[in-house]
Amino acid sequence: MKNRMSKGLILGAMLGASAQAMAAVPESDEPIKLAVNEWTGQHISTHVAGEILKTMGYNVEYVTAGYYPQMQAMEDNTVSATLEIWSSNIGEHYDNALASGKVVEIGDLGLEPVESWYFNAAAKEKCPGLPSYEALKGCAEVFANAETFPQGRLVDYPADWGTTNVDRLKGFELDFTSAPAGSEGALIAEIQGAEARQEPLLVMFWQPHWVHAVVDLELVELPPYEDGCNEDASVGVNPNATWDCDWQRGYIKKMAWKGMQDKWPAAYKMLQAYTLENGDQIPMMNQIDKEGGKLETVVAEWIASNEAKWKPWVESATQ
Amino acid sequence: MSGDALNQAQTRSWLPWVIVIAISAVLIAIRNDVSWLNKPPAEILPIAEWVNVYMDWFVDTFKAAFRKLNWLLNWPMGWAQQFLQWLPWPVTMTGFGLLAWLAAGWRLTLFTVLALFYMVVTGYWVESMNTLGIVLVSMPLAIVSGFFIAVMAYKSPRVNGFVQPVLDLMQTIPTFAYLIPILLLFGFGPVVGVVASAIYACPPMVRNTILGLQKVAPEALESGLMSGASRFQLFWQVRVPSALSSIMMGVNQTTMATLAMVIIAAIIGGSADIGWEVLSKMRKAQFGQSLIAGIVIALIAMMLDRISWGFTDRSRAIARAHLPFMQRYTPWFIATIIGVVLFWLAKLVPALSVWPEQLEFYPAEPINNALNYVTGTYAHVTDAIKKSVLFFYLLPLKVGLTKAISPFSWGITFEPWMRLAFAGIVALIAAGYLVMGKWRRAVAAVVVGAFLYYGITSMPWPVIILVVTLLAWQIGGVKVAALSFFGWLFMLLSGIWPQAMLSVYLCLSAVLVCLVVGGGLGIWASQNTRVSNFIRPINDALQTIPPFVILIPFLMFFQIGEFTSFLAIIAYAIVPCIRYTEHGLKSVPEHIVEAARSMGTTKRQLLWEVKMPLAIPEIMLGLNQTIMFALAMLVITALVGSKGLGQSVYIALSSADAGKGLVAGLGMALIAIIADRILQAWSERRKMALGMV
Repeated sequence: MKNRMSKGLILGAMLGASAQAMAAVPESDEPIKLAVNEWTGQHISTHVAGEILKTMGYNVEYVTAGYYPQMQAMEDNTVSATLEIWSSNIGEHYDNALASGKVVEIGDLGLEPVESWYFNAAAKEKCPGLPSYEALKGCAEVFANAETFPQGRLVDYPADWGTTNVDRLKGFELDFTSAPAGSEGALIAEIQGAEARQEPLLVMFWQPHWVHAVVDLELVELPPYEDGCNEDASVGVNPNATWDCDWQRGYIKKMAWKGMQDKWPAAYKMLQAYTLENGDQIPMMNQIDKEGGKLETVVAEWIASNEAKWKPWVESATQ
Repeated sequence: MSGDALNQAQTRSWLPWVIVIAISAVLIAIRNDVSWLNKPPAEILPIAEWVNVYMDWFVDTFKAAFRKLNWLLNWPMGWAQQFLQWLPWPVTMTGFGLLAWLAAGWRLTLFTVLALFYMVVTGYWVESMNTLGIVLVSMPLAIVSGFFIAVMAYKSPRVNGFVQPVLDLMQTIPTFAYLIPILLLFGFGPVVGVVASAIYACPPMVRNTILGLQKVAPEALESGLMSGASRFQLFWQVRVPSALSSIMMGVNQTTMATLAMVIIAAIIGGSADIGWEVLSKMRKAQFGQSLIAGIVIALIAMMLDRISWGFTDRSRAIARAHLPFMQRYTPWFIATIIGVVLFWLAKLVPALSVWPEQLEFYPAEPINNALNYVTGTYAHVTDAIKKSVLFFYLLPLKVGLTKAISPFSWGITFEPWMRLAFAGIVALIAAGYLVMGKWRRAVAAVVVGAFLYYGITSMPWPVIILVVTLLAWQIGGVKVAALSFFGWLFMLLSGIWPQAMLSVYLCLSAVLVCLVVGGGLGIWASQNTRVSNFIRPINDALQTIPPFVILIPFLMFFQIGEFTSFLAIIAYAIVPCIRYTEHGLKSVPEHIVEAARSMGTTKRQLLWEVKMPLAIPEIMLGLNQTIMFALAMLVITALVGSKGLGQSVYIALSSADAGKGLVAGLGMALIAIIADRILQAWSERRKMALGMV
């Protein structure tokens, strides 16, 4: 520790003020704790960032943390940063964390989430007009089950994620019922169950997600999002209803403990600069969930072959 | 039957029923014209907001103290986890093997070693030891505090009066409802999980200990007094040993409940334990993976439970105490030698400290494939099962025959003559009972008939309040009636009425099945040791494997919705019904059974006329626990799309609204408590009628 410090001082003196920060990296040997939540995509986003931080000389610890509880943990550096917060399902916890004054938002991750209606191969067979949403109008009974008959069934997001599908189904004049799934596990069990039974399925789902690596799901073509279509009946395809267009795309944020700026300034800057795109995450997700690869090896490979992408973040952070 | 004496009790007259039924009939008749009858107001009193204000104050005031407690509890847990991680697995195995041998002999040793070996070969050793570290702190916490609360409650009726409702709240308010407040109080980390699981797991310990202490025979106490025992001796050497079988029942249930909460601790996160593994796999709906990980939790539970159970059987220890010194400590010597040798061997053979990945046994893929195969191949069978239960049992309870019968569901239209016929049959049954002089059964026939016809969720709310409160009054007196009235009023005013009714319907339909099937299995198990031995590990597994694991195949077969929720509740809540029925029937004193036999009773008579009545207190406790468990499952079934109070809890959780969550949680608790008090009062009456008190 002492040795490194003195070396840094000498280097700093030699290279001038701009290099001083770099020379001091890592500012502290205390581990930076990155939150690991419950899904593969997040594991990838977190481990990529963590491994980059390690190349900078930081100590990194991956802490398992619940999606909501981690917000509490970031207030006192029990978790230093979390890198994949979806605007669609974090709810009030996001605002509450910012309001505490101890947690800050550090920019978009860069993943582009698509949340909309998907259908499976069996649905395409029984309702050949798909992917156009208009085809659903004549296909309600294809998607019906005992609980919804004669209406079709749209397997929906859990009620606590907040969903607008009841309004949307009305807006598109579809004779469908929204059946909230209750959890991500239930959504996936529905998707896999329908696949095993070769049954048509219409489901509210999102991308990037590992299940696309295992099951063929196609997007329903909805009329594109227009500003005002959720509030103003005259906007959108149905002149008499609101919610008659596709979703406005959401965003994915990175967040950190406020004290990070002072404790590990370079790491903080690196995480601010850090982005991961669909094109990066999805192939890694496939390698893990489809081909059975290990998270650590998959991430290490990405790090090794994508230096051009992440080296600039490190450089900008240490300048 | 000395029922006549009871009939004369003033509260039990038929007149109020006639009035209530008349009022209800009017309310039902006009319900479509008066909108507030069907649709209770959203929220009259902002109770949730009040709770939030109070909660903010409470958290601000006591946060510092609770954070210290978190820090304090972190030490033993950290030590336990680090120690268990540091020990090579064969040494840990030897240690637990020794414990098992001392507790119950070589069979348990074999089981313990195999169970731990399972954790090694599946590659879950590190996670399992982290979990064990958490459990080794939270289980003693729950057991010891539970025991002392029970002793205090036993000694002072006032304490008891306070403790009983608090126990109900602890068991029935779902952890998710107070997750936000305890996170705010304790901060983040595994200790929050420990505290949450201790809160949830300690009630069975308290209840069983109280029950055990109360049941101690006066003869035993007298003989203790006569032999000059001090009060202290009397308690520890007479009362506690006599109550031991009940206390151990409590230890058993508390152990199971602690392990059941491992998954909640994981939701908070903070330590890479087996609960976290299960949670991640569940989120992916990977049945094979989550089953393999879930079994670890069940195995830990069985191991700890059997070992603690074994130590209460003093006969082994006493037998050992008579052996010469060398023989007495032989197992210790052998285990120590094996342990030390393995410890050093582990430094040479890496496989003994970290199991090599190539040797892992992880049959997740075949399990998943099998599930997929069954799902695909038997789709028509599962579909038929779902449809028949849904159409002929669940729907009538929910929305009534009047809406359940349709060409799509039953294949017929509910013609006016059928409606008349239904009313006629109900009237006939009621009239029949009246003629026989059994007015209570007549009233029951009318009420059940009306509920079947109109459905629980379509009943105007005043009808529900009136009927349940009157029932509570007649069975339990003014106190229970007041509880019922204000309980329902709370649900009405806080705006959770529709969700509460959905929950009542779902739980009731499941509890009825539990009672019939579980009671039957319990009776069978009490008569047949083989059945008993077969059922016990299944019960343990059902209670400790995180319920969502079992839900995955149900989901694949039956899709999201009420039917899957219904099955899930049964799978979990049936266990206490089986257990307590068996336990109650088996713990009928031998001399009574002997006496009955010598009087020449048949097996049937012995069961139904001797054992059954004597076992009623235990069976009622089982029913009480079944209701509690059923309500507790509402939070889990919300994960597979059931609507009701469970869903409200999650909505509150996602909007970080502690008040709303607590109100919904309190709603569940109130339903449980009202049901429990009515049942208890009824059981007291039965006991009195049979001259047991």
